[in-house]
Amino acid sequence: MTFASFIAKNALRNKRRALLTVVSVAVSCGLLVTLLTLQRELTVPPESEAASLRVIARNKVSLAQPLPAKQLSVVEKIPGVVAVSPFTYFGGNFRDETVTSFAQFAVDPARFRDLIVEGKIADGSYDDFIKDRTSCFVGADTMKRYGLKIGDKMRFTGTFYPVDLDLKILAVFQGTVDDRGVFFHHKLLDELMGNPGTVGTWYLRVASADVANDVIARVDKAFENSSAEVRAETERAFQMGFISMLGNVKMLIGSISAVVVFTLVLVTVSTMSMAIRERFRELAVLKALGFKRTELFGFILAESFGLAALGAWVGIGGSWAFWTLIDLQKLTNGFLLYFEVTPRIMATGATVAALLGIVSAIGPALAVARTSVVEGLKTLD
Amino acid sequence: MAAEPIVVVRDLSKIYRQGDINVVALDHVSLDITAGEFVVLMGPSGSGKSTLLHIIAGIDRPTSGSAKVQGIDIAQLDESQLADWRNQNVGFVFQSFNLIPVLTAAENVELPLLLTDLNGRERRKQVQTALELVGLADRGHHRPDQMSGGQQQRVAIARALVTDPALIVADEPTGNLDAKSAGDVLAILRSLTLTAGKTVVMVTHDPKSAAYGSRSLHLEKGEIAA
Ligand SMILES: Nc1ncnc2c1ncn2[C@@H]1O[C@H](COP(=O)(O)OP(=O)(O)OP(=O)(O)O)[C@@H](O)[C@H]1O
Ligand SMILES: [Mg+2]
Repeated sequence: MTFASFIAKNALRNKRRALLTVVSVAVSCGLLVTLLTLQRELTVPPESEAASLRVIARNKVSLAQPLPAKQLSVVEKIPGVVAVSPFTYFGGNFRDETVTSFAQFAVDPARFRDLIVEGKIADGSYDDFIKDRTSCFVGADTMKRYGLKIGDKMRFTGTFYPVDLDLKILAVFQGTVDDRGVFFHHKLLDELMGNPGTVGTWYLRVASADVANDVIARVDKAFENSSAEVRAETERAFQMGFISMLGNVKMLIGSISAVVVFTLVLVTVSTMSMAIRERFRELAVLKALGFKRTELFGFILAESFGLAALGAWVGIGGSWAFWTLIDLQKLTNGFLLYFEVTPRIMATGATVAALLGIVSAIGPALAVARTSVVEGLKTLD
Repeated sequence: MAAEPIVVVRDLSKIYRQGDINVVALDHVSLDITAGEFVVLMGPSGSGKSTLLHIIAGIDRPTSGSAKVQGIDIAQLDESQLADWRNQNVGFVFQSFNLIPVLTAAENVELPLLLTDLNGRERRKQVQTALELVGLADRGHHRPDQMSGGQQQRVAIARALVTDPALIVADEPTGNLDAKSAGDVLAILRSLTLTAGKTVVMVTHDPKSAAYGSRSLHLEKGEIAA
């Protein structure tokens, strides 16, 4: 017999309780990891180096308010701006879908080319795109998901806009962090809408990340006190702002996670103190035999830590495997893109479990340390 | 057998304070125990037998006075030194056996050896020797719940002597046993004093058990009666 086998035998003395403890830790850790992954999915926008060079300028009043198209001539002259294109979210529903999970943007094809530089075109060319005003680029993920081919028609029913789009797929667009979007001619939208002379937002590319803030300040300044004041921000900040609308969801997920952890603490702390309390007399005997407080504390800690670690391993590993193996993008109709259980999230789950193992050992260990051998021997089994 | 005392108790008092009342469990007790003796402590309930035994064995501390075992004033040792001292010098036998239910007999006996420098093979050898001494060489792999009370108590004795301590203390070791098993246990304890030179201090209520000892002491209200 070794210390380790002694600890293992103690931990497993009540097999059902040990199993239930491991299972409850596993389920809670799995749930926690899932919640943290969901939170990350909702809060961390897809990021890329190219995206950090992009700035979005929108109407200061709200995103829903359009901007005058004539601002273009001012924007493109602002120092530090390398490219600019109108960028208008159409938000239509594809075919007969009631909610379409990929976005359609009206852009200026000629200018767009210098904007999303990381995006690559397959099976087509910008020149052809520019020539045909009913054509569109479609993100590779969307092509794949709907089984679309070059030359296919895509029909979108307007939601914000009282018009429908009929587009012809000219090329596949890929290489961006989110290869789902459909890009079409702003002119087409203008025509359908009777040339209102407005755009949704301006999309800018700046010369370098260092000048991004200066460009943002200059854009804001340029339209100060005009009838359409502008708010510019980096693509990332814009997405974060978009996500902040999900603030309540974030908080909700945060609170649920906290409750999960709290419940888990209650469960393990009470299990552990029960397990030790019924062994008080034995622990007093061990003390009489010469075992010291530190050694007994070691036994208790190892037992509680061991059960927590086993639970964490099963729960975290299980949820990692689960979310990695299933195609969530398909299941959620593209709402959840990556749902990646990152090492960081797994480490968070493991840390929670480790702390849990330690915290649940503290109470019993203190009780054991406080009890003298004689007192301990008097306790009944 | 050397006549020098292994246990020297001088003016030992133990007073429990319960609110305003002082309970005097031991009242200026002095006694010497010679190595190889089998001392039996008797006396009415509450007379302080267990308290005296606990102090001699280093699991309780006196309020005043001293208890020296092999020349060491054990009340002067700190918690950790005392734990080491117990491991090396004292074997415990309790009324209710107090074996660890999830461990086999051999593993129970091995427990105190985990605190020593012995390797696994040496430990197993020593465990086997101890189990042979109590006549349970073939029951090493049995768990306590697979053994009778008498057998469990013999395993406990094996656990008490596996570290080869000079002193073995036993608090009513036969209190939970039938006459036959009690006789076996007492015979083993006596033979330990006679053949292995161990010193045994045993508390008992039973005069028949006391007959196995080499000397009886009577406690009355915390004092040794003449
Ligand atoms: N923790 C304690 N607090 C207060 N009083 C105590 C405590 N432990 C023992 N006593 C008292 O000390 C006295 C001696 O107790 P002790 O256990 O030594 O008696 P004993 O002779 O072993 O009795 P028994 O034969 O019933 O086991 C008793 O009056 C008891 O009530
Ligand atoms: Mg007693």
